[in-house]
Amino acid sequence: MSVGVTNLSVRLGSVLAVDDVTLATPPGQVTAVVGGDGAGKTTLLRAMVGRVAPSAGTIDVPEPRAIGYQPSSSGTWPDLTVDENLDFVGRMYGLSERRLRTRRDTLVERAGLVDARDRLASRLSGGMRTKLGFCMAMVHDPELLVLDEPSTGVDPVSRVELWRLLAESAADGTAVVLATTYMDEAERASFVMVLERGRSLLAGAPDDVVAASPGVVVATGHPQRPAFSWRHADAFREWWPLASPNGDAPVAVDLEDVAIVAALRAQNGVES
Amino acid sequence: MNAPLLAVNGLVKRFGATTAADDVTFVVEPGEVVGLLGANGAGKTTVIRMLLGLLRPDAGDARILGEAPSLRSRRALGYVPQDLGLYTELTVAENVHFTAQAYGCEPAALSGALGEVADRLVGRLPLGLQRRVAFVCALQHSPRALVLDEPTSGVDPLARARLWNTVREQADSGVGVLVTTHYIQEARQCDRLLLMSDGRVVGRGREQDIVGDTTAVVVHTPQWESAFRALDQRDVPVTVAGRDVRVIGVSADAVTTMLDEAGITADVVDVPATIGERMTVLARQPARSR
Amino acid sequence: MVVKEFRELRRDRRTVAMIVALPILLLVVFGYAADFGVDTISTAVLGPQAERTQSQLPDMFDVIEVDEAAGLDRAQDLLVRNEADVAVVTGDVPATVLVDGSALFSAQAAVSALNRLGGDVDVEVLFNPDLETSWVMVPAIIGLILAFIGTVVTSIGLVKERERGTLEQLAVMPIRPSTVILGKITPYFVLASVDMALVTVLGMLLFDVPFNGSPVTFALGAALFLFVVLGLGVFISTVSSTVGQSIQTAFFFLLPQILLSGMIFPLEAIPWGVRWISYLLPLTYFTQISQGVMLRGAPLDSLWLPFLVLSAMAVVVFVGAVLRFRRSLTPGAARTHRRVAS
Repeated sequence: MSVGVTNLSVRLGSVLAVDDVTLATPPGQVTAVVGGDGAGKTTLLRAMVGRVAPSAGTIDVPEPRAIGYQPSSSGTWPDLTVDENLDFVGRMYGLSERRLRTRRDTLVERAGLVDARDRLASRLSGGMRTKLGFCMAMVHDPELLVLDEPSTGVDPVSRVELWRLLAESAADGTAVVLATTYMDEAERASFVMVLERGRSLLAGAPDDVVAASPGVVVATGHPQRPAFSWRHADAFREWWPLASPNGDAPVAVDLEDVAIVAALRAQNGVES
Repeated sequence: MNAPLLAVNGLVKRFGATTAADDVTFVVEPGEVVGLLGANGAGKTTVIRMLLGLLRPDAGDARILGEAPSLRSRRALGYVPQDLGLYTELTVAENVHFTAQAYGCEPAALSGALGEVADRLVGRLPLGLQRRVAFVCALQHSPRALVLDEPTSGVDPLARARLWNTVREQADSGVGVLVTTHYIQEARQCDRLLLMSDGRVVGRGREQDIVGDTTAVVVHTPQWESAFRALDQRDVPVTVAGRDVRVIGVSADAVTTMLDEAGITADVVDVPATIGERMTVLARQPARSR
Repeated sequence: MVVKEFRELRRDRRTVAMIVALPILLLVVFGYAADFGVDTISTAVLGPQAERTQSQLPDMFDVIEVDEAAGLDRAQDLLVRNEADVAVVTGDVPATVLVDGSALFSAQAAVSALNRLGGDVDVEVLFNPDLETSWVMVPAIIGLILAFIGTVVTSIGLVKERERGTLEQLAVMPIRPSTVILGKITPYFVLASVDMALVTVLGMLLFDVPFNGSPVTFALGAALFLFVVLGLGVFISTVSSTVGQSIQTAFFFLLPQILLSGMIFPLEAIPWGVRWISYLLPLTYFTQISQGVMLRGAPLDSLWLPFLVLSAMAVVVFVGAVLRFRRSLTPGAARTHRRVAS
């Protein structure tokens, strides 16, 4: 089964929110879509689950019953308890009573929500609420799991736990797609795509993307070209297409640095 | 200018049976950027609120420029709350003017990208620009200290770098900055870090100091799914990074044994843990009795 | 601080509308419409001396029918069917005058005028013999409660989903939009019906308000009215993004109905310059039905006009609002670009 989008464009009003994006999100793999506010991540994900209509391109996804979705607002009903939330979603997806109970118990245990089963969703901490939203998206054992910024604003411990849940789903064969603004999470995915203003800026396995970034990044106390430099701790980082004229040593870069470089180059009109 | 700009000493705050802050002590000196990390409920917000004078401590004290928090000492402080604290139904210029009047200073001149949107309603701007407006409002009265609550949450890497340019420039000119963040990478932008857990400060210094001797084990194997499942089934805290499996809290030897039992061959290597993993280890420890 | 508040306020269109429109509405209503005095009373004169008697009646009695061949039965029928507020039956001495007690202010005016004629007439007030205000108010309040639940409570329930982002969840689930809509609206329909029954029974117990007509007719009218106000509630939810906004908008729809539906000020007393608004309000028609059925025992065919109008309103408002709401659940032409990966 091939899951993903091909040459997808989505126009919202007068804005081209997604511009000719091709992304494969195969089963058993975690795919991360990264970008800031307005980059098009949410629109891309919404197009995949059928919430917004594309203007061009194709979307290959399983049928609605086999898709699980967690919107950026966690998707939980605040006035229902953890159990009630899961029951509602399970029933909406047509799970039998027995299957629902099994899935619910399994997920609640895996997510560490056992002690909070009777607590209202509004009284859960942000991290627990996001894990509940994840369980709700998974309760019907979907083939494709789409998560919109599940970890934004969530504390690091809950994020680690959430990733464990994501990894388990991928290990079970689910195609997992998530939108995130955290580069350290994107680095943990098998495939990452950086979106900016609806277009794909970078795409590939994290290690490949980092290795393929052209030029070098050096650490320096006095950058020469402000348009290609940024602060890092109490020094600067600067990008050069070949080598630093000062002989500054290149530093090991991570995905965040590479994304910054790509964005700066795009902004300054440098040919890729 | 040798006295710390912000100082908390032995801060304690209890809400009913919960101790939200338990003997918290730290300072923020001029020119440095201090990062405050911690899970939700660790006490970060409580400490900040006491520093701002919004909450009265049960014991200990909080000081801004050596004084107790008051209207006057608050003028020396710039604060950006998590939800930005901007009026969505006012334009950028109106927000800036209002804050300027409230602090009794000249409104900042808006240039560049902000200048272009000066007459647009803040509520209609993308998050990156909103955050920049919040910064302008917090900085225009030339505060001596800054308290920023998750200042770059939700923005892309370049916008984040830009915001940090501003933070760093402030530090360069002698302002002391206290930042809270959930984003570990951002923690690397700070001069030093404070890790809070259960109301106490449980780690200080740079990233290596915080992580201490906690290590993680990376399992590298083509059959990552089987390895993952084998370890997960033994209730070992595992997660995935790309195609590698990361395990915390268990020694490399133990992991190798478990994998052998499952008939999986793999490269098993000890690596330093991430701050997030360190926090997980801390969180799994039983809560101390009070 | 003051300037900032004004600036924010200026941009909050609903609040501005409230500040501007509300005083105007109140001024107009209380200035022009608020009038308990009734100038004309529709009267029928029947019986052998009808022709002679009609010229003897005071001016306020607006004679709409003169029929020498008809008698007491026809008089009662005219009143039950709300075709006249007063019926004079000549033939006996003293003549019998039937007065419709459900048209409270007309009745009061008629009774005091007739009492001045002394022993020449024998006045009998039907339907509301003691001319109790509560008897006339309770049927109207039943409608008001239905309107309140239908607009305010329903719109709050629907807008909360949108505020919390859970509407997204529902939209993605493999359920038809009609199921979502039905599921959301049915509880409020049930709630409103139960509330209505409760208030009716309470009104009857506490104030001795009678229920002289057919419960079926009443229920039918109530159901139609409920569809109209539920439709309004759904519509309000589609144009509001917060609960606060939905309450403000519902208020706009409710206030005119309270003032101009005939609940407080009789319709006949409201000058035509303002009365046309009353005829656009659903509560006006439901009040006619509830007062007719409860107090006069009016048969269905005499109430054909309010029923017709409410039916038309129900269809237009409810269906229109539901279609609008449905559009927020479905993105439109999404089918063509999707392939089911097998």
